[in-house]
Amino acid sequence: MDISYLGLALGLLLLLYPILIFAHLKLKLSRQLFISVGRMILQLSLVGIWLEFLFNQQRWWLTLIWMLIMIGNAIFTVKGRLKYQGKILLPVISIALFTSSIIIMPWILIMIVKPQPLYSPMYVIPLYGMILGNGMNSCALALERFESGLADNWQAYFTRISLGANLWEAALPPFRKAMHAALLPQLLSVASIGLVSLPGMMTGQILGGASPLVAIKYQMMIMFAIFSGVTITDYVAIRLYLKKRFDKFYLPKGGR
Amino acid sequence: MAKEPSSAPDYMKLLQIDIKRLYFADKDLARDIKLEVSTQERILIVGATGTGKSSLLNTLNLMNQSYEGEILFEGKFLQDYHPHELRTRISMVMQETYLGDGTVQEALDEPLNYAALKNADHSDRKQRLGELLESFKLSLDYLAKRVNQLSGGEKQRIGLIRSLLLRPEILLLDEISSALDQKTSGIISDCIFASYPGTVIAISHDPLWQERWDRTWSLEAGKLIDNSGVK
Repeated sequence: MDISYLGLALGLLLLLYPILIFAHLKLKLSRQLFISVGRMILQLSLVGIWLEFLFNQQRWWLTLIWMLIMIGNAIFTVKGRLKYQGKILLPVISIALFTSSIIIMPWILIMIVKPQPLYSPMYVIPLYGMILGNGMNSCALALERFESGLADNWQAYFTRISLGANLWEAALPPFRKAMHAALLPQLLSVASIGLVSLPGMMTGQILGGASPLVAIKYQMMIMFAIFSGVTITDYVAIRLYLKKRFDKFYLPKGGR
Repeated sequence: MAKEPSSAPDYMKLLQIDIKRLYFADKDLARDIKLEVSTQERILIVGATGTGKSSLLNTLNLMNQSYEGEILFEGKFLQDYHPHELRTRISMVMQETYLGDGTVQEALDEPLNYAALKNADHSDRKQRLGELLESFKLSLDYLAKRVNQLSGGEKQRIGLIRSLLLRPEILLLDEISSALDQKTSGIISDCIFASYPGTVIAISHDPLWQERWDRTWSLEAGKLIDNSGVK
C-alpha cells in the first residue's frame, strides 16, 4: 500500500512530540532536528527520484555509474572517520572495498538472485547498498582499531621485531584484535536477528507485500553476503595498510 | 683505532661504522663517526642525555634509519640482511624489557614463534636456559612465575637471558640498569660479563659498570671520541 503525501505530512507531525519535550527541557536539539530531518527529506527525495529514473531506464552503464558513486562515497566516508591520516589511506580503502564488491556481488547476482537482466538496478542497487554500507562501517572500525592497537603498545611491537619477528608476525597481535573488534558486533547482530527487530530489508519487503517466507530467505542470503563481505574488506584493508604503514625494516613510516 | 686483534687467526672486523651524519627529526646529533668493532670487544658509550647515544645504538640493529653513511656487519651492509635475522644476531636489550603478560617461560619462548628462529636448531636450548638461569642467579622455579610478579631486576635478567638465548654475536644494552639499585645493577653486569663471550656495546651511567670496558665512546657536542684500551 502506498502512503499518501497527506499521510507523510501526518507522520512529520509526530516530530511535534520531541520538539515539545526539547522545549520543556530547554534541550538545544531542536535546531539539529530541523537540520537533520531537512537533510534526510531532501536526500531521500532526490535519491527516490533518481532511483525511479534509474529503475525505469534499466541500463547497465547507469547502474554501474551509480555503484561507482556509491563506492566513492563509502571510501571517503571511511577515510573521514579515521584519525591517522596519510596518503596511504585512499588506495588501501579503495582496494579493500572493491575486492569485497567484486567477490560478493557477482556471486549473489549470478548464482542466487538471478534478476532479469542481471544488472537490473532494482535488485543490484539495494543489495549493493547493504553490502557496501556494512563493509564501510566495519572497515573504518577495523583500521581504527588496528592503528590504536599499535599505538597502545609500540613497546610490544618493537620487542617483537627485536626478537626476530618479521613484519607479519610483529603485527599479527594487533591485526587479530582489530579483526575481532570489527567482526564481533556483526556476529552478535547475526545471532539476535529476528527476535527483537526485523531487519530493514525484511520489513521493507513485507510491507511491500512479499511473503515473510520469501523475505527471510532474502534476509539470510544478505546476512551471509554481508558477513563475508565485511570480513574480506577488513582483512584486505589491514593487510594493505600494514604494508604501507611500515618500511622494509619493519619500522613505522612517518613515526609512531 | 681499535684494540689489537687477539691471536685468533680468523680474526675479522665485526662492525665497520662510517656514519657521516646522525640525526633525529631535523636536528643533527653527530657527524663523522668512524669506528671499527672487533669480536669480543666490550664497549661503553657515554655522554649527556640527548647527544644521540641511543640513536647510535639503534642504528646498529636497524632500529633507526635516521643517518647518512654506511655500516657493515661481517663485511656486508646492514641493510642487506633480513631485518629479523640481523636483529637476532645483533640483539638489543632495552631499559624496560617488555615481557608480555604471561609466564616467564612464555616470555622466554616468544622468539621461537618468529621467522628468525623458526627453523633453527633448538636441541640444546633447554640446557642453555638452565645454565643461563643459574649464572644469572635465578632458580628454575622462575619459569612458572607470572611476569607481573617479578621485580624490576628480575625482569631485566629474564630479558637478558631471552636475548642471550638467541646466541647474538653482538649484545646492545641501552641503559638496562638505570631503573635498578646499585646492588642489582652490579649483579647484572657480573652476570653478563661472566656468561656472555661476545661483543657488548652498552650505554650506562652506572659507575659500577665503568671499570670493565675495553673501550669507551664518548659523544660530546656532535662528535664521538674513541678511547681505546681505557680500563
